[in-house]
Amino acid sequence: MASAQGQFMAFDEFGRPFIIMREQEKRARVKGLEAQRANISAARAVSNLLRTSLGPKGMDKILVSQDGDITITNDGATIMEKMDVKHQVAKLLVELSQSQDNEIGDGTTGVVILAGALLESALNLLDKGLHPLRICDGFEHACDIAVKHLEATSEELDVFANDNALLKKAAVTCLCSKVVSNHQEKLAAIAVEAVLDVADIKRKDVNFEHIKVEGKPGGSLEDTCLIRGIVIDKDMSHPQMAKVVNDAKIAILTCPFEPPKPKTKHKLEISNAEDYRKLYEQEQQYFVKMIEDVKNSGTNLVICQWGFDDEANYLLHANNLPAVRWVGGVEIELIAMATGARIVPRFSELSNDKLGRATCVREIGFGTTDDKMIVIEGCANTSAVTVLVRGGNKMIVDEARRCLHDALCVVRNFIKDSRVVYGGGCAELMASNEITKVVDLEPSIEQYAMRGFADALEDISNALAENSGLNPIETTTWLKNEMKNDPNKRFGVDCNGVGIYDMKELKVYESLQSKVQQLQLATQVVRMILKIDDVFAPSEYS
Amino acid sequence: MDKLIHTGDKATVTNDGATIIQLLDIVHPAAKALADVAEAQDNEVGDGTTSVMILSGEFLKEAKSFIEDGMHSRTIIKGFREATRIAVQKIRDVEYKVTNHQSPEFRELLVKCAKTSLNSKLVASYKEFFAEIVVDAVMKLDADLEKNMIGIKHVQGGSVLNSFLVDGVAFKKTFSYAGFEQQPKKFENPKIVILNLELELKSEKENAEIRIENPEDYQSIVDAEWDIIYGKLENIAKTGAKVVLSKLPIGDLATQYFADRNMFCAGRVAQEDILRVAKATGGQVLTTVSEIAETSLGTVGYFEELQIGAERYNIFKDCPNSKTATIVLRGGAEQYIEEAERSLNDAIMVVRRAIKHASVVAGGGAIEMELSRIIREYSRTISGKHQLVVNSYARALEIIPKTLAENAGFDAVEILNKLRQKHAAASNEGRWFGVDVNKGSIFDTFEQNIWEPSLVKVNAISAACEAACLVLSVDETVKAAKSEQEVTQAEMALRGRGRGRRFRK
Repeated sequence: MASAQGQFMAFDEFGRPFIIMREQEKRARVKGLEAQRANISAARAVSNLLRTSLGPKGMDKILVSQDGDITITNDGATIMEKMDVKHQVAKLLVELSQSQDNEIGDGTTGVVILAGALLESALNLLDKGLHPLRICDGFEHACDIAVKHLEATSEELDVFANDNALLKKAAVTCLCSKVVSNHQEKLAAIAVEAVLDVADIKRKDVNFEHIKVEGKPGGSLEDTCLIRGIVIDKDMSHPQMAKVVNDAKIAILTCPFEPPKPKTKHKLEISNAEDYRKLYEQEQQYFVKMIEDVKNSGTNLVICQWGFDDEANYLLHANNLPAVRWVGGVEIELIAMATGARIVPRFSELSNDKLGRATCVREIGFGTTDDKMIVIEGCANTSAVTVLVRGGNKMIVDEARRCLHDALCVVRNFIKDSRVVYGGGCAELMASNEITKVVDLEPSIEQYAMRGFADALEDISNALAENSGLNPIETTTWLKNEMKNDPNKRFGVDCNGVGIYDMKELKVYESLQSKVQQLQLATQVVRMILKIDDVFAPSEYS
Repeated sequence: MDKLIHTGDKATVTNDGATIIQLLDIVHPAAKALADVAEAQDNEVGDGTTSVMILSGEFLKEAKSFIEDGMHSRTIIKGFREATRIAVQKIRDVEYKVTNHQSPEFRELLVKCAKTSLNSKLVASYKEFFAEIVVDAVMKLDADLEKNMIGIKHVQGGSVLNSFLVDGVAFKKTFSYAGFEQQPKKFENPKIVILNLELELKSEKENAEIRIENPEDYQSIVDAEWDIIYGKLENIAKTGAKVVLSKLPIGDLATQYFADRNMFCAGRVAQEDILRVAKATGGQVLTTVSEIAETSLGTVGYFEELQIGAERYNIFKDCPNSKTATIVLRGGAEQYIEEAERSLNDAIMVVRRAIKHASVVAGGGAIEMELSRIIREYSRTISGKHQLVVNSYARALEIIPKTLAENAGFDAVEILNKLRQKHAAASNEGRWFGVDVNKGSIFDTFEQNIWEPSLVKVNAISAACEAACLVLSVDETVKAAKSEQEVTQAEMALRGRGRGRRFRK
């Protein structure tokens, strides 16, 4: 680092260095091409790591966190998030995959690989002596061409035709790369059903808050089911209470089942037995009154945010009022929304019109364990749904939840915007072909950068082919050639080895929106990385 | 190009001169003088900080050779000052003015200035898009153009082009209690109550002692507390307001109360957002809810809670006397958005300046080349040592187009020569020629709409000259007995983790 240090220094005529910055000796500086190289190689390291996770034959990673928690996944965003990347430029890529996750929910691996490929081709161009900004401009220009071409060649499909076959197919495409792929049909059907249940088809809007994905280890993936209602991980407060309440009228309370206490600090002084008895009676009265209030309002199920002591529990049971205690604020809200109940802060305010309705509330147990869950079905107001994921162990359940989330996102995207392009690297290759076609017309030296962009796009199909055990170069070249000769062909990498390359026939769909977002985000991040020509860092860091 | 600077765990990617200097944490006295000048430029005009640094560096470089030749530094300072005076005067002569603030031409001028400022930034490829946003935002403000009235919010995710301008206020959904989801999320023409008040069931602060003998009376104490909070809530509901905002928390009881009455509430709203809402809606921030006057309520054309990326935002639009605007920035990485914000800040400052002084000059090094020519010509009319100094000043000005060309990856010498030739031509046609960073040649930057407020240039040149003169006028540095190295270390030890505070405002 000695030479890099030297760049900071200025010397007076006696050769003594001037100190210009605080802690100068502790900082390192990397400058110019060297900085770009260092940044690119850091980013490439990250994207290479993800490369093997792309596609239906992508491999999983085990990520062990600091406190020993294990995650097994091949979801790009999750890997990046759990990797705990230190290098700042590599962190940019982590954020990149997260943005894709936030906005689209799928394609998080692809976007990082694309950014990595773009950086690699940028490195080649830098070596040729191209100015980084010119490379960025070229990339952006090429990205525009690619996006326009994809928009022009995308197909608008009727997603609801044929019993939602297209949506199911899209969900399957998303799930087939995941660990749950042998249950892909079932999970895909669940995902489609869940989204359609809550979707506002007219506004093309899907409110994800109405879809909850709950996981419970135990059972097998096949037991995963869709519940049209809400599942809360609680049980009835008294083991002998009714396990099933049909035509439930639910009172939601945010006050505990105990005598009220003022919030102001106070002291109780009891001087004689008489007073004590009075107090006791008063307390008893409170309990009776509470139960009466509840009973009178017509409630037949109580959901309470707080606890209640044995006295209240006994009374509730004796009065045949099933009750659930310690339900968290978020669930309370969800139940209130779904059943049309009003949250009631005091017993005195309970009335019939503040109750929520549901056709059936039941407590279900799992296996031989004592685990119980409460299921609220047939809610009056909204169509909140819950997917209950089962699986052999916690890791599988977690991974399955992530997969389902991706699948839900994909289905939502198709409902939002039904324009599709084809997967398997097909869309990228088409864009690449288009750029190569027009690139020679570009007068400035950005031509080179645009070619670099086209090359980088091929990397997706290369990676796909590689992961599927095919010869990457051979496959990509052949596919490109086929599509060039006949622009109507939609060929992609045949990852499953079925011998069909026509993605239309295989029905491998991806939403246009997701692809466009991938291209744009990757280009932006690459621009940001290339534009850095100076890195100041604490020296122990580099 | 950008710099990536680590400070602690955080990294900043920027090419904003002021930000870089701030993060570098400079301690050398002379270098610090330059840094302060850049900061002053940032405070005064908000843009051109890099130019100031480059110019003052170049002035000093020219001065060094004179000093080595034994010229007295006072002579040099005098020459520099004189040249600066002429430069400023010349800018005033050639600047292009728009007097009518209503004309579309004026707006155009602002857009062009904003674009020029954004040119060098990370978001340069979207400059048209952002320039419009910035100008629209600044035009919303009242006459004093207070910058705080433009809020910039970040939402990670989405493409940069999904950024948008809200005509009014937008802020992130605050922490909410159960019951919030049951509130309506959309109103047309709602009245708004803005509070600085906690709406929660809580213990009262009084220190009084109340003795009750009877267990029945106990209930009355409990009820009293409930009455207090219900009283407050009723007062609010009575005003007919539909949206309740508070700087302090709004508890679950209040949230549910409002939900029952089809009202919307948000607690723990940040101070600046509260102030901006108050300003935009014409409401007043209230600290009590008894007897709320009709006039202290705010109104807004349209209120909505909207999903943006992964976040939910409360948006107040179409305010009656909207003097505020919010820019919601989207982008892939947090650092990208941060840099975009800094760039927009510069652009906003430039536009503000341009509105106040509606005069512009051509950018792209054109004005510097022109000044350089004029000062060089002028220098020939002086007799004595000054001639040399003024001449060198003229040479130093050429550093701006030179650096522009170099940074764009072109042959600076060739471009500089072409420019000199153009500017030296007798006719006035060549005077706006500057560097074409895209093609690597020269063009008329004024025609190409690369405009900068003349104030930025005047300020940059005078500030750079002052900084150079300041450094030149020092002939001795008296240090404390300890060597510089130890001083820094001692300082470091004293300051501990609080290093660098000195540079922050």
